[in-house]
Amino acid sequence: MTSFSKLALVAATSLMLMSGTALAQQKTFNIWWFEDPASSEGIAWGKALEEFKGKHPDVTVNFQQKTFQQLQASGSMILNSDQAPDVLEYNKGNATAGLVASQGLLTNLDDYVTKEGWDKILNEGDLVLSKYDDKGIYGSGHVWGISVYGEYVSCFYNIDMFDKAGLKPPTTLEEWVADMDAFKKQGITPLALGAIDTSGQHLLASLAYTKADDTWIQNYQGLKAPLDGAPYLFAAQTLVDWVGKGYISKESTGMKDSDAALLFTSGKAPMYVSGTWNLGNFASTIKDFKWGQFLIPTPKYSVGSTGNLWVVPKGAKNPDLAAEWITLTLSPKYQTELANDGGVAIAADPATITDPVGKNAAAVFKEISDKNGLGFYPDWPVPGYYDVLNQKDTGLFQGTLTPDQFVDQIKKVYDDAQANQ
Amino acid sequence: MAAAQGALASHRRGYYLYLVPGALGFIAIVLVPQIANFVLGFTAWKGVGLPRWVGLQNYQRLIGDDQFWGSMIHTLLFMISMTLIPVLIGLVLAALLFDYIRDQFGERISSLFRAGFYLPQILPVTTAGVLWGWILNPLGVVNTIFKAIGLSPLAQNWVGDATWALPSVSLMIVWIQVGYCLVVFMSGLSRIDPSLYEAAELDGAGWWQRLISITVPMLAPEIFVVVLTTLIASLKVFAPVFVLTAGGPDNATLVPSYLTYYHFFTTQRVGYAAAIAVVQTILTIGLAVIFLRFQARQQAQE
Amino acid sequence: MADAALSFDESSTRTASAHALQRRRSPFRWAILALLIALMAFTLFPFALALINAVKTGVDYASGGPLSIPTTIDFSALRKFWDIADFGRKLWNSVLISALVAVFGVVISLLNAYAIGIGKVRGSRAILVILLLGIMVPQESIIYPLYYMAKATGLYDTQLSVIIVFSVLQSAFGTYLLSSVLGSFPREIIEAAEIDGASRWQVLWLVVVPVLRPTLTVVGTFFFIWTWNEFLIPLVMLVSNNNQTVSVAMGLTRGQNLSDPTLSAAASLLGIAPTVIFFLIFQRTLTRGVAVGSVK
Repeated sequence: MTSFSKLALVAATSLMLMSGTALAQQKTFNIWWFEDPASSEGIAWGKALEEFKGKHPDVTVNFQQKTFQQLQASGSMILNSDQAPDVLEYNKGNATAGLVASQGLLTNLDDYVTKEGWDKILNEGDLVLSKYDDKGIYGSGHVWGISVYGEYVSCFYNIDMFDKAGLKPPTTLEEWVADMDAFKKQGITPLALGAIDTSGQHLLASLAYTKADDTWIQNYQGLKAPLDGAPYLFAAQTLVDWVGKGYISKESTGMKDSDAALLFTSGKAPMYVSGTWNLGNFASTIKDFKWGQFLIPTPKYSVGSTGNLWVVPKGAKNPDLAAEWITLTLSPKYQTELANDGGVAIAADPATITDPVGKNAAAVFKEISDKNGLGFYPDWPVPGYYDVLNQKDTGLFQGTLTPDQFVDQIKKVYDDAQANQ
Repeated sequence: MAAAQGALASHRRGYYLYLVPGALGFIAIVLVPQIANFVLGFTAWKGVGLPRWVGLQNYQRLIGDDQFWGSMIHTLLFMISMTLIPVLIGLVLAALLFDYIRDQFGERISSLFRAGFYLPQILPVTTAGVLWGWILNPLGVVNTIFKAIGLSPLAQNWVGDATWALPSVSLMIVWIQVGYCLVVFMSGLSRIDPSLYEAAELDGAGWWQRLISITVPMLAPEIFVVVLTTLIASLKVFAPVFVLTAGGPDNATLVPSYLTYYHFFTTQRVGYAAAIAVVQTILTIGLAVIFLRFQARQQAQE
Repeated sequence: MADAALSFDESSTRTASAHALQRRRSPFRWAILALLIALMAFTLFPFALALINAVKTGVDYASGGPLSIPTTIDFSALRKFWDIADFGRKLWNSVLISALVAVFGVVISLLNAYAIGIGKVRGSRAILVILLLGIMVPQESIIYPLYYMAKATGLYDTQLSVIIVFSVLQSAFGTYLLSSVLGSFPREIIEAAEIDGASRWQVLWLVVVPVLRPTLTVVGTFFFIWTWNEFLIPLVMLVSNNNQTVSVAMGLTRGQNLSDPTLSAAASLLGIAPTVIFFLIFQRTLTRGVAVGSVK
């Protein structure tokens, strides 16, 4: 035997030994999330974790920082194995949490909802995305997960640039258009947009929601009927009009959200439509000007939802501890902490929030949530619709698709999924 | 005569033992999963739970899927940037470095260049995607440079315009691939008898003539390997598209591997994705068989 | 001995004589050199981009974008990524996995190629075709089956699973390459050894391997780098953070909606630095023996 193959053999054996040593004697509690450590959720949960460890000196608490990509590509595989943790953050929606819930890979949390008093903290609207039926469709059925924060899409604006131009944040669509026109006349492209990323389809959906009523939203998100394309046609026509007038650059089809956000943070574009997940980044990187956010003027619905879910895998060894963890992150202390870190708290007392960004965000979210105005995201009803909308969006912005063609094409995919669900 | 043949046969038989580890690994890691994938192509499955048999339904769907056909056409175009252009550039560069730079400036300079051109090969392609995104986006390096030197009409929306997206992704692929061709070609060149060049030079052949009449024919085996491996790679181009354009704009850069990834992991239509992968595999095998036949014939002629 | 076949004796004599011939055309040579330097600058530009953005502050990036020269050198993004990714651990995992794949992959390739190139076993062409499948199959299509197999054998979430998978996948290319090299291995050498009473096993390790060592190093280097950069299979097979590799950890900077560009650049820089260093150490060997028929 050569030294080469001896070495290899030793290495291989030691590897196998290594995986064996993971069996520790003490009681262990494994917890995962994939929010960035620098994000508001990451910071607040990190602090909660310290307190949790202190409360349970007899338990070895293992935290692992996961990535969105890993859970996206192999979440269901992990939950379907004995490597799953005791509690983890999981993406909400039919294609993710709904799928694994319907396959029996999660622990039913119905009993904990009353036992831990979650029903007293969260209203019905906050629990809509916690429930999935046996086909994995959200809205009814057992409770499989709990969200402890919110998200919504709004328009970020540069207060200094607005002041200088003598403009006010709009309360109607007409005022918004007038603001954009005023900027355009000064030679400034008013709206930064990453058309190949989320912000493109979130703007599209926001405009569609200006024409959406309760029935439309329920049918659309519930995959209950073939797509009624009228709101999307309005949105598409508006966008094409705006691109034509120069409110949105045609170049946006080559930009990702990070590129478009850069236009806003560097003070080149006065407005940027995107979600609250930008708050932390904007708060820490924008030093040269004042900025704020206004909701896109719609009759009722805004693009947004409750955040990702805490779920407890089927085989979790410590479901009680998992429930205790969820309760801790829902507690006033850590809800306030979340808001003070610039996050969108779902159950914080506004009086205790000191950070202006987080205070405003919590208030706006409450306002939307109280009128049941969470319209959710446009890509939810159909698995893979996210890519479809991005692809067709860019066609629209480039001018290779007319608004009618655009609606026809997204309708085809939607109706196909609706008929074959 | 018969005895000699028998001895030869048993002589050969002993060598089969050496194939055992490779064969076992191959069966476990490639063959069995491929068969499983083939079977999955006839089912509807979400990755967990039990697959449901649907017969040829996935393949029927495939035939009517515009996205699939579009992606196949893009693959043909990517063969140009994955194979043709890098091979040509690689040949010229290899000959230049080996036959000119090394003589004029010495071995060190020549290997410095070789190392430099090879570096993109070892860059994780996800990283390359981030960096090229900065270069190609509408406010990126390329357009900034064009605007700075007064050529703003040349500035384009490189990855966001259907006309330019495919060439832009191709440019990044060429950037990655040239190094591979170069390194293989240069090592092949070290085997060529230098007296051939000297004789040609004395006959008055220029650098270009030497490239065509000596270098290319002598490098035939390397060219063959490079063309085969890069063509195969072009059939499964994924990462550059994934990181730069995500198949856009409006599917202008969609490729089969992106489509399978999309259905495997995003729509969770694992059965359908498996069917696309089966078609892809069959095409690849077909291509490889044609090539290897061709190689066998060439060798037989020699 | 046979090593002579691989030495550069002939080419160095050639350099001397050719040098004399070409020295006269000097004005032209600077033009060529300038052209090559320009091409190389183009090739290396993205690396420079990673470097300048990795040492920028977030505020600096937000105001100047990716192209501006950093106003101050700031290592906080690098340090931050190192910490959140537990990079030291990931580095060790990647080195271990890539090195073992390089070793096992080369051994498997060598054994296969010995049977095909020297043994000329029947059906070797068919074997080569089938093996090439290994590098052709779209990786996504074998992930679900591999996952279920790994779970069944208890190898799910172990580095061993990734090592086995890549040793086999990489060896397909290695077999193809080494077979054609060994196909033209001088038969006299082997026959001489056999007459001296060497067994097949001894011929392989005492005669073939020493001659082939440069080629094996190159093949191993390729395997190392390719495995280092693999993303999808390690992402799926290695669940625990403690088992993950560098290229998987780089996904940390691309969250769902969030992206911190300086952190991306820092991740890029830390991600490529090890392979670049490894490559610079081994790059001299890369041309020494990779050729398809370098022993001819």
